[in-house]
Amino acid sequence: MAERGRQYLVLADEDLISLVEVADAEAFATLYDRHSRAAFSLAYRMMGERQASEDLAQDAFLKVWRGASSYRADRGSVRTWILSIVHNRGIDQIRSQASRRRTQEKIEASAPRSQPSEAFAQILRNSQRDQVREALDTLPPEQLKILELAYFSGYTHVEISDLLGLPLGTVKGRMRLGLKKIRDYFESRDAAVPR
Amino acid sequence: MSEMNNERFDDLKDAYVLGALPEEERLSFEEYLAAHPERQAEVDELGAVAGLLAFSPPEQEPSPELRSRVMEVVEARRVGGRSTFARVGDYLSFRSLALGAAALLVIGLLSWNVLLLDQVQDLQGQVENAQGQVKDLQSELEVARAQQSQTIKLKGSWAEQGAIAEVASMKKNQIILVARNMPSVPEDKTCQIWVIKGDVPKSSGLFQPDENGTATPISNSIRKADVIAVTVEPAGGSEQPTSDPVLLAEL
Repeated sequence: MAERGRQYLVLADEDLISLVEVADAEAFATLYDRHSRAAFSLAYRMMGERQASEDLAQDAFLKVWRGASSYRADRGSVRTWILSIVHNRGIDQIRSQASRRRTQEKIEASAPRSQPSEAFAQILRNSQRDQVREALDTLPPEQLKILELAYFSGYTHVEISDLLGLPLGTVKGRMRLGLKKIRDYFESRDAAVPR
Repeated sequence: MSEMNNERFDDLKDAYVLGALPEEERLSFEEYLAAHPERQAEVDELGAVAGLLAFSPPEQEPSPELRSRVMEVVEARRVGGRSTFARVGDYLSFRSLALGAAALLVIGLLSWNVLLLDQVQDLQGQVENAQGQVKDLQSELEVARAQQSQTIKLKGSWAEQGAIAEVASMKKNQIILVARNMPSVPEDKTCQIWVIKGDVPKSSGLFQPDENGTATPISNSIRKADVIAVTVEPAGGSEQPTSDPVLLAEL
């Protein structure tokens, strides 16, 4: 058994996901061990408290277990796919809640911040995280804020427009510029956007 | 809401990849995308940029209980009582290797080896992994061997002594040699696989016989070959066979 466990460890994510398709629990466990921290970190960033974050991560990983066949390697890495599931499920959950959290965020969003990228201020642990962090640091605060509200907090562009008292076109424009700036960051370093 | 068109699609694609479209608009966007698959690539590319945000939150450690809960559900839903490798056989069947259940089992076993081998540069490490699997699954091999028809059994002097060696075709032209009950060879010797076309033998892999069995990838295509053979050669292999084949199969 231990020998088999070691064998799973040498498999690439793409191979593991193929095995998960045929209900291989050990392959799934290996994927979980590789990506649960990133998934939970994203869930925590979106949900803001531990229990809801664990519920979201659990929900997402069970979707990975049931829906491994829907993974498409040409659309990105397994890690990105898992995180996109967490993100999409998180958005669904956030939007289905009339939560106090969003009210609170509305208050916070209306107050000026001396450091709008505060949410990303912790020291990041790996190079990819560092790179992303650096890319995000190149964004003007008003662009970063809008990306955060959309991506992590599940606000629609119309809601962000209302929340920040900005014209919808401005919100869309900042989204566009923010994403472009992130892409430009990688292109300027002759690096591909991680997928 | 405005009707979706090219211009509107461009206007909304950033919000789409950020998950910031209201439901109705999102559905409209996706309908348009489905009707214009040529735009999928740019959405994917933009989505990859937006997806980077997922890597940015400060790291949080999930509790061990979360893992237990997830695995509890997974274990409850897995296919009961079936081996990993039998399920790998199913996986292959989904990819059009519909060779019958028993044949799938064998190919599943062997494919598992190949999946591993793709990941490991060191050939010796690959062989060791394969050996472990072969040992675990000998009984399945016996059953499958009796029924399947996609492997080629090698004959020769070692086969007459009880060695069992088979070559199996894998997907993407990958082939593998599985051998059991092989006589041992001295430490300064090794078994060398040859793929022979006409009079030209190509060295196609080395392995050391093991009491638990071996599984060795064959590094040359057998599609147009005439013979597969195994000879005993000095450790490290030879450029040309230096002894008579102990195992061989005409293709």
